[in-house]
Amino acid sequence: MPRISFNGIAKSYGDTQVIKTFSADVPDNEFLVLLGPSGCGKSTMLRMIAGLTDITEGQLEFDGAAVNGTGPNERDIAFVFQSYALYPHLSVRANIAFPLLMSRFKPYHHLPLVNALMRRRMLRDPEIDAQVRRVADMMELTDYLDRRPRTLSGGQRQRVAVGRALVREPSVYLLDEPLSNLDAMLRTQMRAEISALHQRVRKSFVYVTHDQVEAMTMGTRIIVLNEGVVQQYGTPKEIYDRPANTFVARFIGSPPMNLMDCELDGRSVRFPDGTVLELPEGGAAPDGPARGITLGVRAEKVSVEAADTAKAGALPARVVVSEYLGAETVVAFQLGTRMDESGTVGGRDLLHARIPGEVRLAAGDACAVRLDLTDASFFGSDGGGRLPVAAAKGVA
Amino acid sequence: MTSRLGSVMRGLGVTVLVALAGFPIYWLFTTATHTTGELFGGHVHLLPDLGRFATSMRDAASGVPMLRWLTNSAVVAFGTTLLSLAMAILAAYALSRYRFRGKGVFGFALFATQMLPEALLVVPLYSIFLTFGLLDNLGGLVLSDTAFAMPVAVWILKSAMDGVPPEIEESARVDGCPRYAILPQIVLPLIAPSIAAAAVITFFDGWNEYLFANTFITDERKWPASKGLASFVGEFVTPLNHVMAAALIFTLPAIVFFLFVQRRIVSGLTAGSVKG
Repeated sequence: MPRISFNGIAKSYGDTQVIKTFSADVPDNEFLVLLGPSGCGKSTMLRMIAGLTDITEGQLEFDGAAVNGTGPNERDIAFVFQSYALYPHLSVRANIAFPLLMSRFKPYHHLPLVNALMRRRMLRDPEIDAQVRRVADMMELTDYLDRRPRTLSGGQRQRVAVGRALVREPSVYLLDEPLSNLDAMLRTQMRAEISALHQRVRKSFVYVTHDQVEAMTMGTRIIVLNEGVVQQYGTPKEIYDRPANTFVARFIGSPPMNLMDCELDGRSVRFPDGTVLELPEGGAAPDGPARGITLGVRAEKVSVEAADTAKAGALPARVVVSEYLGAETVVAFQLGTRMDESGTVGGRDLLHARIPGEVRLAAGDACAVRLDLTDASFFGSDGGGRLPVAAAKGVA
Repeated sequence: MTSRLGSVMRGLGVTVLVALAGFPIYWLFTTATHTTGELFGGHVHLLPDLGRFATSMRDAASGVPMLRWLTNSAVVAFGTTLLSLAMAILAAYALSRYRFRGKGVFGFALFATQMLPEALLVVPLYSIFLTFGLLDNLGGLVLSDTAFAMPVAVWILKSAMDGVPPEIEESARVDGCPRYAILPQIVLPLIAPSIAAAAVITFFDGWNEYLFANTFITDERKWPASKGLASFVGEFVTPLNHVMAAALIFTLPAIVFFLFVQRRIVSGLTAGSVKG
């Protein structure tokens, strides 16, 4: 429910700054995804939102009120840990009910032995029982309420962790890579379930992941992080269509955006091998420098045809690998006619085309590549930032 | 075939180990059920004389305040256990979870207490006990035994607490559990097997301790059983059967305590808490 505002937030451990100063405003009820490679600081950022890690600089606000000094239990949040962090000595029922019990416990109830007695007594309370059953029904855990976490499968444990977060009906749900321990099939299923859950409860979600597919499919807003620096903040479409820099361009999308060095001469794009392509009428051209820039084209904007059928305006290339995925084929290729011995799959010079259906090209085949530059991105060579685009010309 | 042979060999190995471990108890029992004459008569009696068991026990306990000695031992052992565990749990939690100046030195100091022989400390401790009026006082014995038992308990519990994932505690904090309650609510149940192991070690430290008891307790009515047992050894005569019978009586409560606690010494309690 609350609007989350990051005002000049930064985090340092001693002299090492792990999250550089950044600001962002996340409207309420959004599904915010913190996305980035391992060690980029996304979990640290989530822990700062939770109050589990202190904020070194700046102010974190929930609905305009600073929460820097408040503890995790005062922020009206729920946290689903990557490792689930279930209480192994308690049943599923007691795990789910735990936040409810804590809100009712008096200080002396926490004493050893007394806590076990009070827990047992309160679990029989009709109100708590009803709340636990409601969540268990939602998470399909009703049959497992009296079991211990160790007897459950990974997916079931994950549901218990989410159920424990749900039962208190908090304002903000924080999820730290909750699907990373599940197998691919279960992950897809749980992804849909968490998205549905967000739709159902209409609360703010903050979700940490390194998986850009999760980010794109679940998030309504994404913060992309790298080495503690926020690279871009926007909707999935903004981030996919208009990446802020070459890091985001390569990190978002599978296969990643194709990046090619080029020079711009008016509306002509000149490649290092001398090939020249014209920007289409109506397509935007960058406002910035003409030399040493990087052209970015998404794989679905690239088409590949056999070399002998190629017409003018196609770039000569050679297929490195062709991956048939059923509904589509991803062709990895290198520009030029010679096969580069050092060109390895995933190398910087390896480009990709995503083509519907099947493509009859094998590794090593000469081919011709056609680029649709209508929505192309241009990045400066210095730092790889996105170049501002001039108003489109020639629009009818 | 190979697996069958393997299981037979394993069974044989276990039997030998059990026999080795159990033989002293058996020999205690056998010796206790024979008269001094029989024991020193030249024959080795391998089998216990079960008919004499009750008489032997009665004879051993007659003329000495055996029950009082056992009660004193229980007071010292339980006192040492409770005091050691109470302090060790807090110290272990601090060592496991917090970073503070001098943590390494503190940890080493705990180890260092185990390097000092008890005999070395008898004289300074006697002087301290004299000053504080702790001589002939079971409470004093509890304190001195705790000083030696607690560091071991701290290290056992610290390693157990190191194995409790910090996320579980953080999860409890998010769920509204106050920080002071995380230890009793979350951590202690998870390390129950190690607490039981530490309890066994500290209990036996207190139950078996002899040197301090012999030095600090002179009043016969305040002797723990370890000291009382030693009093059977005379200058000229040692009634070996009575010593063994009394030793058997002395051993039984400790065995009962161990059987009671060992149920808790099971591993794998934290299985299922984190990751699949």
